[in-house]
Amino acid sequence: MRHDFLDRYSRLDSPVHRIPAFVKFGAALVFVIGLVVAPLSERWFFAVAALFLVLVSVVSRIPLSFIAKRLLLLEPFVLGVGILMLLRPDGLTVFLSIFVRSTLCLLTMILLSNTTPFSGLLQVFRRMGAPALLVTVLALMYRYLFVLIDEAERMQRARVSRTFTRGRTHLWKLLATVVSQLFIRSTERAERIYSAMCARGWR
Amino acid sequence: MKPALDVRDLSYHYPDGKQALRAVSFAVEEGECVGLIGPNGSGKSTLLLHLNGVLPERHEGLPTVTVLGLPATAENLPAIRRSVGLLFQDPDDQLFCPTVYEDVAFGPQQFGMRDAEVRAAVQEALAKVGLEGFGRRSPHHLSGGEKQRVCLAGVLACRPDVLALDEPTSDLDPRGKRELAVLLQSLKATKIIATHDLELVVKLCGRTLVLDGGEIVADGPTLELLSDESLMVKHGLEKPHILQHRHPH
Repeated sequence: MRHDFLDRYSRLDSPVHRIPAFVKFGAALVFVIGLVVAPLSERWFFAVAALFLVLVSVVSRIPLSFIAKRLLLLEPFVLGVGILMLLRPDGLTVFLSIFVRSTLCLLTMILLSNTTPFSGLLQVFRRMGAPALLVTVLALMYRYLFVLIDEAERMQRARVSRTFTRGRTHLWKLLATVVSQLFIRSTERAERIYSAMCARGWR
Repeated sequence: MKPALDVRDLSYHYPDGKQALRAVSFAVEEGECVGLIGPNGSGKSTLLLHLNGVLPERHEGLPTVTVLGLPATAENLPAIRRSVGLLFQDPDDQLFCPTVYEDVAFGPQQFGMRDAEVRAAVQEALAKVGLEGFGRRSPHHLSGGEKQRVCLAGVLACRPDVLALDEPTSDLDPRGKRELAVLLQSLKATKIIATHDLELVVKLCGRTLVLDGGEIVADGPTLELLSDESLMVKHGLEKPHILQHRHPH
């Protein structure tokens, strides 16, 4: 089983993918800050930014449907805040401002994370002086997230293959067992990983 | 000559109280290749974890393991971990870095090699296991056999004097097993291989230790021990197929 829903297209080859990770990271950072601080009255700025991002998406060869789906998935979190603003007297402008800015920022981040392998981003963090422990934790998280999903899937399959009744409560109980088992297995795996790190000189 | 490994009266019980090793003693000469066999739960993995000081959790009291004349005490641990390369049973436990290159480079970096040296060590190790050009791949996208070979590369990159391998063939298909056997044969390091793959033991190891219930129940020439049907069956093993036909008729 191979899961790669997090950064499925980060290993493609395109002009955008070939730009060094730190250049892309720096550009994305500047871009996001610009989008946040620019006053909304400067409509042309947002129009140009949007056009630029669309251009980058096309050049990067990432399917546009994938980018759209990602946006739809992430947008509700930001829009929740925006919709609350609608309740205020001058809410509409605030709502529009949040909507435009957040959409463009999300698009920037989606493009960054899908044109740069995660390991490349981690190296940028490390070079920028992010705490080594934090980078290690992020690296381990990325590495074992998929292993964990595989394990959950295997357990789920084993469970389904031996489930004969279809009671609701029964199902919930089983789910609880799977979750607790997964937790136990993860802690055991964490111990083994730590041993493996020590065995190669980790201090 | 100093033995490569000297284990004296090693006993260990896990924090939950389960006794895993009882008074284990043996020595391995430099360049020797020793098979470590025994039923499930006999303590093979636990024994290997002791060889480079991952266990015991605390290094107090008299050291029971000596590597190339160096007793395994807390202050000798970095040196011992460098000279004993440990290959773990589950490749997913051992490949903890986001890319193959970083994983193979992990050991050399921890031991303070310079960047250029690290790069050379990684190239050399990947070439040895036949995985040149895999550096940028992520471990998650490799097959079982490839993962196993990356693990081995990660160990070899530290240029160890002793290799302690835990079930190196368990994830491999027959061709992978043959290739691994050839690769291991070509390495000059002292080797101790814990495995259920008795044919591998016959092929590679001149000497075998049989572990059962945390005790060494037999220690001798491989062909002699593995041909002893009653000994093998008594300890949950079997006489390997390739030895069935070596009887004098």
